[in-house]
Amino acid sequence: MPGSVGAVLELDDLHRRYGEVAALDGLTFTVPAGKVFGFLGPNGAGKTTAMRAVLGVTALDSGSIRFAGRPVDPVARRRFGYMPEERGLYPGMKVLDQVEYFGRLHSMDAAAAERSGRAILERLGLADRVESKVEELSLGNQQRVQLAAALVHDPELLVLDEPFSGLDPVGIDELSAVLGERARDGVTVLFSSHQLDLVEHLCEEVAIIDHGYLVAHGSVDDLARGGRPHLAVRVAGDREGRWASTLPPGARVKSIDGGTVAVALDDAACADAVLDAARAGGMVEHFAFERRRLSEVFRESMGRAGAER
Amino acid sequence: MSRGWWALTLLVARREWRERLAARSYRISTAILVVAVGAAVVIPAVIGAGNSASKVGVVGGDPAALAGTVRQAGAVLHAKVSPIVFADLGAARAKLRNGDLDAVYVAGREVLIEQQPAKGDSNARSQLAGAIAQLAAGPSRATTAPAPALAVHGLKPPPTPLSTRIAGLAVVVLIYLLVFIYGQRITSGVVEEKSSRVVEVLLGSVRPSQLLTGKVLGMGVTAFLQVAAVLATFLVAAAATGSELLHGAAVGVVLVGAMWLVLGYALYCTAFAAAGALITRESDASNVTFPVALPLLLSYVLSFGVIFGGSPPTFFKVLAYIPPTAPIASTTLYAIGAASIGDVLVSAALCLLATGLTARVAARIYERSILRTGARVRVREALRGDTSA
Repeated sequence: MPGSVGAVLELDDLHRRYGEVAALDGLTFTVPAGKVFGFLGPNGAGKTTAMRAVLGVTALDSGSIRFAGRPVDPVARRRFGYMPEERGLYPGMKVLDQVEYFGRLHSMDAAAAERSGRAILERLGLADRVESKVEELSLGNQQRVQLAAALVHDPELLVLDEPFSGLDPVGIDELSAVLGERARDGVTVLFSSHQLDLVEHLCEEVAIIDHGYLVAHGSVDDLARGGRPHLAVRVAGDREGRWASTLPPGARVKSIDGGTVAVALDDAACADAVLDAARAGGMVEHFAFERRRLSEVFRESMGRAGAER
Repeated sequence: MSRGWWALTLLVARREWRERLAARSYRISTAILVVAVGAAVVIPAVIGAGNSASKVGVVGGDPAALAGTVRQAGAVLHAKVSPIVFADLGAARAKLRNGDLDAVYVAGREVLIEQQPAKGDSNARSQLAGAIAQLAAGPSRATTAPAPALAVHGLKPPPTPLSTRIAGLAVVVLIYLLVFIYGQRITSGVVEEKSSRVVEVLLGSVRPSQLLTGKVLGMGVTAFLQVAAVLATFLVAAAATGSELLHGAAVGVVLVGAMWLVLGYALYCTAFAAAGALITRESDASNVTFPVALPLLLSYVLSFGVIFGGSPPTFFKVLAYIPPTAPIASTTLYAIGAASIGDVLVSAALCLLATGLTARVAARIYERSILRTGARVRVREALRGDTSA
């Protein structure tokens, strides 16, 4: 059962080439247990290849993948749940039969698979559709069945490739709740996404990759705090931010938006000098350290990765 | 292949046959086959045989003793027989020729029937004549050595072995249809998994080799249930109506055909699966299945000429040893008496060998192509393994 502390997923120096293209180029990072872990990167960065490699769907040229300290093999993969980016179910098969089938493919016996299938379908609000064929369901409900197929066997590791794409806001909330629940139960959850605001909201840790290798890794808080500190300052009546012309050394104006001046600092210590400058300009309405958005971190990481090449 | 490997493979197979058995088209096609085979056996038996007593003319010797021998032969065969005494052989032959008599027993000389059956074949009349000939020579005479049986002669020379030819034709049609239909079903099953993208979810817990094996096994089970239903219908209907098909060489043809059906399916099924893995759209299916089924089609078309023609061309005899054409060519040659059971077994062994090889190559193509969507994958590409899955 999940809950065992330390069921960590480790990706170690993964390499995979497709002809001239290196999809994975020494990718290394670890996914902790019990947290929702986001896996980010632009299109073609190698996210899907890495996830497929974890599931054994794609072979690696070199590198190793370990789960709970052991190399991943087909037996270990029976405790994994997978939702590929390309969703897929048998269109003509009944919902419960389908979920039960995936449970059995993960070594459940028929009775347990049916029981668990009914429970998870009920949790996802599909209790009255278990006898329907998949093709008769709405797209949103098909996605729910897909999630049920990945969860039916109570996996210890969940690998979800773009699980939020195509979901409406209700579906997004539902899926976020389910992922949070599972993570709290000790399941290791790895999911990829383009929706950075969502990732920021949902994940505690992220890995950002580009061109097949890691460019940033860590807790969302650390990443948001990392880099140069930023201030947001607004002085009453000064919509153009004229006061900022007298900024001390080590502080630069990044942008001015509706009177709010974003200031980049070389060092948090010079914040006081900035406050003095603002006071000199008038009444200070707003003065705060700005947390960077994950999207900013992401763009910055991409920029650095590009510069290194 | 560990137990775990088979457990998953059988799960895949089970899904296949459950889905198939539940399909209405499966039930309908089985019903049609059963009715067709039943009718083909029952109708000729009902029209042809009738249950009236066979009439045997007896000529010369002691009419009472001859009639006794004839009745004895009837008792041996569990058939009703009524002897009719003729004073004149010519009159008896005339009656035999126009069908009023089934046989004529000429004392001490021979047993006549209208027409000898083909070599290796027999029918009710020839069996009765054979029994009379045996008994006439047998223990009634107190001689030291048993006398040789009387000869059985036909007024007309034996025909070409028509019943085996017709059985051969039926079996060849069945082999072609079943291998082709089930092969295409495998292709479209593979394409369905590809186009619905369910295959990647499956591959998260199942190896491609398990998916491939499970699919052809599951489909095979449904195919053979259908064949078993047809065979059972054949046997029950033939036994119930006392059809001659159960006694003649036709049974051999049916058995050889059944063996070739199994071998043919085994040879072709993996190739059809590999063909399905190359494409993503159902509409492309005929483009890839046609080259796979071509040898089957070729041998099928040629088999008609061989079954209805005279001696088979050497070229066709060669086809019986080439695995992709063997299932139909070998069955055809056996049905017309141009191949012995030994010949059949040799080409069966070759076919088994080729089956192993085909499965290997097909599995490779399947594994390399199954995750590639979009444009059709070229076979050479898949074999080289330069895929971008």
